[in-house]
Parts: sequence; structure tokens; C-alpha cells
Amino acid sequence: MIELQNVTKTYNGTVKAVDSINLTIKDGEIFGFLGPNGAGKTTTIKLIMGILRADQGTIRVNGLDIAASPLEAKKQLGFAPDSPNMFLRLKGIEYLNFMADMYDVSAEDRKTRIRELSQRFQMSDVLNDRIQSYSHGMRQKIVIIGVLLHNPPVWVLDEPMTGLDPRSSFLLKEMMREHADSGKTVFFSTHVLDVAEKVCDRVAIIDKGHILFCGTMAEMKEHFSRNESLEKMFLELTESHEE
Amino acid sequence: MKNKLLILTGILIKNGEGFGVKDGKRSTRMILLIVLAVSFIPLAGMLAFTISGMMDALAMIGQEGVILSWGLVLCSFAIFIFGIFYIISSFYFATDVENLIPLPLRPRQIVGAKFLVVMVYEYLITAFVFFPLLLVYGIKSGSGPVFYLYGLIILLFIPVIPLTLSSILVMLMMRFTSLRRHRDIFSIIGGVLAIFVGLGFNMFIQKFTVNVSAEELQKMLMQGENSLAVLSTGIFPTVSWAVKALLGGLTLQGLLNLMLYVGVSVLVFVILLYLGELVYFKGVIGISESGSSRKRNGAGLNDDKAFAMGNAVWTYAMTEFRLLYRTPIYFLNCVLISFIWPVFFLFPLLMQTEEISIIQQIAPFLSNPDLSGVVLCGAFALSLFLGGTNAVASTAISREGQDLYIKRYLPISYRDQIKAKINTSLGLGYTSILMMLIAAVAVMKLPLYMALLILATSWMGVRLMSFTGILIDIHNPKLKWNSEQQAVKQNMNVVFNMLIGMGLAGGTMFLATNLALDLWVSLVGLFVVYGGLNILFTRLVYTIGVKRFEQLEG
Repeated sequence: MIELQNVTKTYNGTVKAVDSINLTIKDGEIFGFLGPNGAGKTTTIKLIMGILRADQGTIRVNGLDIAASPLEAKKQLGFAPDSPNMFLRLKGIEYLNFMADMYDVSAEDRKTRIRELSQRFQMSDVLNDRIQSYSHGMRQKIVIIGVLLHNPPVWVLDEPMTGLDPRSSFLLKEMMREHADSGKTVFFSTHVLDVAEKVCDRVAIIDKGHILFCGTMAEMKEHFSRNESLEKMFLELTESHEE
Repeated sequence: MKNKLLILTGILIKNGEGFGVKDGKRSTRMILLIVLAVSFIPLAGMLAFTISGMMDALAMIGQEGVILSWGLVLCSFAIFIFGIFYIISSFYFATDVENLIPLPLRPRQIVGAKFLVVMVYEYLITAFVFFPLLLVYGIKSGSGPVFYLYGLIILLFIPVIPLTLSSILVMLMMRFTSLRRHRDIFSIIGGVLAIFVGLGFNMFIQKFTVNVSAEELQKMLMQGENSLAVLSTGIFPTVSWAVKALLGGLTLQGLLNLMLYVGVSVLVFVILLYLGELVYFKGVIGISESGSSRKRNGAGLNDDKAFAMGNAVWTYAMTEFRLLYRTPIYFLNCVLISFIWPVFFLFPLLMQTEEISIIQQIAPFLSNPDLSGVVLCGAFALSLFLGGTNAVASTAISREGQDLYIKRYLPISYRDQIKAKINTSLGLGYTSILMMLIAAVAVMKLPLYMALLILATSWMGVRLMSFTGILIDIHNPKLKWNSEQQAVKQNMNVVFNMLIGMGLAGGTMFLATNLALDLWVSLVGLFVVYGGLNILFTRLVYTIGVKRFEQLEG
């Protein structure tokens, strides 16, 4: 569960990237976070992860305040950033061991999980290569494997499907579903509305730092009192907000 | 339509290649620049003083003009050597290269713009040597305004020829060797080679200056009139035109030489552009392809050792170390530098039989009990110097660059992260000291008890400089960079820490020699003063340093 209460983040003292937003992402749901470019999606995610600090408001992850007890809260989270270009000079296996040590994963657990996950994502053969030599999609996969190593209850994924091949993308969606069905939380941002429509239990739409809508797909359709595609509703919402 | 070459140059300069003083508020930037300027005054002053002294000596044989050509040759050579590094990383390995290739630009426009950007940086090196030289010579020889005007024009053109040489060398290597596919290894080999070229040049100069026979000197003496000045420009012949222009002033000969110098520089630049047109794209395209041979190597994962669990701080430090030795620029500037100093000191001693006798002269000095206090302090000063020149700590945060945010979501405290970074720096620093001591005992016959006493104290110097370094870097890290080079080589934090190290080393030596401290006073003094400073800076790093790290939003 992730709770954001009255969270505000201002850049350079003037630009409100996120303006007193309230969001609750419940256990057992896949939550889609949508919005145009520069709407505040990544800022919100960075706030949840403790990368940025909120000027106002509180953020709790499974009841733990990210500002008050950052290390405990961070251990609840598994985060895949939108750019997978990190630690390029490490080998895949070195990166995974690094992440496992950061999250205190025991030798036994990591062995099983690295083997299992790298097989599922078809990465076993390249773990001894440097990440530098991976394609974009492979880098995305190694990051996702790293995120899942410590079996975090709350997944936070920033544009996770970008660059993944259809098979891995399908696999990830399947894993997200399994995770949510086991009573845990998945929070992810995306531009691909088709994906959001098919995968999410609930969505929120953010624009210019404000939450314009938050609810289930059915509620959204009710909100507009007609049966339209998410894409149309999204455009209508963000455009009317612009005026 | 504006010239695309100049537009591109402007954009590349604007695109944040600054020297680490760009970030931060205007006021802090100003203060930093002032501190920087002030801290260079003593160095420039020393340089001016040396130049002045050499001029006096040379004036006695009517050869004071030689100082100009020495200065210019030195500048040119420094530009050439540094240029090789700058050019490789700017032309080939900078991240913006891949964004420039798809644009509808001619190769010569990219080469030209990148060349001009590198040249702007080379002006900093040039100005540092050339301004004191110009001023001292101008004042002492009572030169008129024409001299200074010529001087400024020449300053603008000094980097062109040596930098073109480095560019051509690099571009041809990149075009015609397959080494570029293994860019990491290539960069490291290139760097090590450059260091040895530097050493070799150093020895060549020593030999050359020693081997000029008395007769030759006499002949030069007879000729007087600055003929030596022209002689020493053999390596960069064009320098002699600049020197003749400076010495000739408004005479026809002076003017002609100036025009010749400027003309040839421009010509050489144009040649470079056309060479770039021919070879640049062929060398640069495909540079980011990796040389990895994709073996089916999942087999290694059957070994349980591959999954051993480690302590978080230890793993963090080991990862830092891996990145240091696998990233060529970091390897050269942070790792190799720890081990190159002993080689630097010993290399000339080992190569020349004459100087072996110097070792034998040093040996009794080192083992003279009356001087042991000074020797101990000297070794300690050396540890401050080594610690200060090592950039591991003073770029520890800067090296994170745009990826700093990763370190903010990992569940490891900022204190532990700093600890891991410090440990990386200490590991290299202590190893460096140890190697130096082994060499000193083996070659310079340093008494064993002295080596042990040095070991017992010098760790404090290395450690202190690691803590000051990381404190400086946490305070104002350079996080916006396009190539790793900018994180370490164009980072003022490295210079600041180096200056602190040199300042402390100088102060320690000054006190030790002036007060002729004996061994026990030195020993106690070092422990009290530097033990205290160590405690102080450890506290500072783990209080305000940790706070500041928390506030850094990557």
C-alpha cells in the first residue's frame, strides 16, 4: 500500500511540479499512473522512492513514512526507473549481486531467484557479460530482475514496457497480475493507454501537478457517462484542463 | 544562414562542459572563482619568479629570448599530450557524438566545432604558463605595446598546431586500427603510453641539456642575439616564428613572422577539417558497438560462489572500485595515479647511472639520525601530497553524475555510502604509500625503523586528504557531465583538494626544517596535529557531510 497525503513538490521555489496531491494505492491492485509529458509523473515516483523530498505532505509505504524511516520504507519498495542505463561497466551477475547485497538478500534466496528470473526473462546466457553490451530491452530486463530479487511487496515501475520485446512485456504483465493477486501492490506509469486499459485495476490521471481523475476503468466510463476508449477520455480530460 | 561550425561550437560550449563552477548559485560561483584565482596567484608568482631568475642568467650570455621559446615549446608539448586525451574523449567517446551523427552536418563541421571546444579548454593551460612569461619578459626587457599585442595574438593561436597534431594522430588511429572496438582497453593503453612519452620526453630534455658540449655552447654564446631561442624549437618548428615575431616587434621581420605563424596555424586547421571530412565518420560510426563476444556462458552460474552474500558497505566499496578500474578515465586519473608517483620518482633514478650516485647521496641523508625528524615530516608531507593528488575521494560524488538518484532509493544509509566511498579511496591511498615505502627501503636504503615510523604516521595524511576531498565534493559535486572525463578532469574539486594537500605538505615541511624538529618531537607533533585534524574531519564528514548528501537531489 502507498499513501500520499497533500504532497507538494516545488522546483526552484516557483514551479510546482506536484501540487498537494492525495493518492492511495491499495494492496492487491495494479495502479496505472497516466499523464502527458511533464505532468509530474516521474516527480511523483521520485517522491515515493525518496529520491526527492516533498516540500509538504507525507508519503507512506506499507505504513512506513519515507521521510521518517527511509531505509525501512525503501526495503518495502522495488523500483525500475525509466532509463535502464545504469552500472553499464558491471557484468549482469555483478549488478544483481550488488542489488541483492543492498537489500540483504541471503545467498540461498538470491541463487534461486536469480536463476528463476533470468530463465524466465531469457537472460541466463548473458549474465557474465557487461551490461554495456546489452540492448536496451536487455538492460530493461536486468533492471527488472534486480528490482524483483528481494521480493518487494510494493513494485514501482516507471514506463516498464518501453523497449521490452512482446514476450517479456507479456511476461511482466503476467507477473504484475500475479503479484497484485497475491495481495501486494503494483504502481506503474505509462504512456501506452492500451496497456493501462487492459492491465490496471485503477488509474489516476495527472496533469500540471494535479490529479484530474482517480478510479477504476468503470468509474471513469461512468464519469464521462459514455463508453469511450481510455485514449479519448484521456485527451478530453487533459485538454479541458489546459483551457 | 549562419555558419554551422560556429553554431555547433557555441552549443557544445553551452552544453555544460564547465569546470564544475557552473552549478550552484551565482554568488557561490563568484566566490569559487575568486578562491580559484587567488589560489593560483602563488603558483603563478612562483612561475614568474623562476622565469625572472632564468632570464637574468640567460641575459648574461645575451640569450634571454630563449625563455620565450622554452615557454612556448613547453606549452605546445603540454597541449599536444593533454590534447590526445581530450580529443579521444571529445571526438569519439563523448555521449553527444551519437546525437550529432544523424544531424545533416558535414564531418568537418563536427570535427571543427569539437576541435574549437577543446581549444578553449587548452587556453586555460596555455594562459597559466604564457601570461607570467609574457609579463615577466615584457617588463624586464622593457618591451612596448606591440610586444603585448603580438603576445595576445600568439596566445590565441598557440594551441592550433599541437592540437591539430594530436587530432590527426587520434583520427588516423581510430580510422585504421580495430582498437576502437575495445575502447576501454584502448583508452587505458593510450593513457599509459602518454605517461611514458611524458617520462621519455623529460629524460630526453635532461640528456639534451646535459649533452650540449662546451664548444657548442661557446659558439652559441658568440652568436649571442638570442640564437639559442631559435635552436630549442626543434620539436615544434613553428614556435620559432612566434618567438621571432615577439622579438622582432614592429620590424618587417617581426611582422612577417607573425603573419607566417598565424597563416600556418590557419592553414593547418583547414587541413584538419578536410582530413576530418575524409576519415572522421569512418572512425566514429559503430564506436558504441560492443566488443563482447556473446558466449553461452550461463554455465558459470552453477557455481555457488557466484551468489555469495556480502556486507552492504563492502559490496558498495567493491562496486565503486570495479567502476574505477573498468572506466578508463577513472582508471588513469584515480587508480593509476596512485601507483605512478613511485614510478615517477624512481624511473629517472634507475635509468641513469649518474643519478644512482644521487641515490647513494640521499641514502646517508635518510639514515642520518640527526635528520630523522625532518625525514619523517618529509615522508608525511609526501603522504599529504599523494592523498591530495588522488581524485578518488574528491570526485566520489561527482562520478555518480546523473545516476546519483540510484543511490537515493537504495536502502543503504547515506553514512554507509560515504563510508564505502572513503574506504575505496583509503584502499588505494594506503597501497600507494606502501609501495612507495617498499621502493624507498629497497632502492634508497631507508632504514627499516624509519619505514615503520613512516608507516605509523603517513596513513593519517592519506586519510585526512580522503576526508577533506569527499567533504569538498559533497559540498559542490559536479553532477552534470556528458563524458566521464568531465567528472574527473574538468572538476575543480580535485584541484581544491590538491591545493589543500600541497598547502599542508608545504606547511609541515616548513616547520620541520625551520625548527629542525628531532624525531620524537616530529612523531608526537604529527600525531597531535594530524590526529586532531583527522578526528575533526571525520566528525565533519559524518555530520554535515551526511546531511549535505541527504539534501543532494540527483
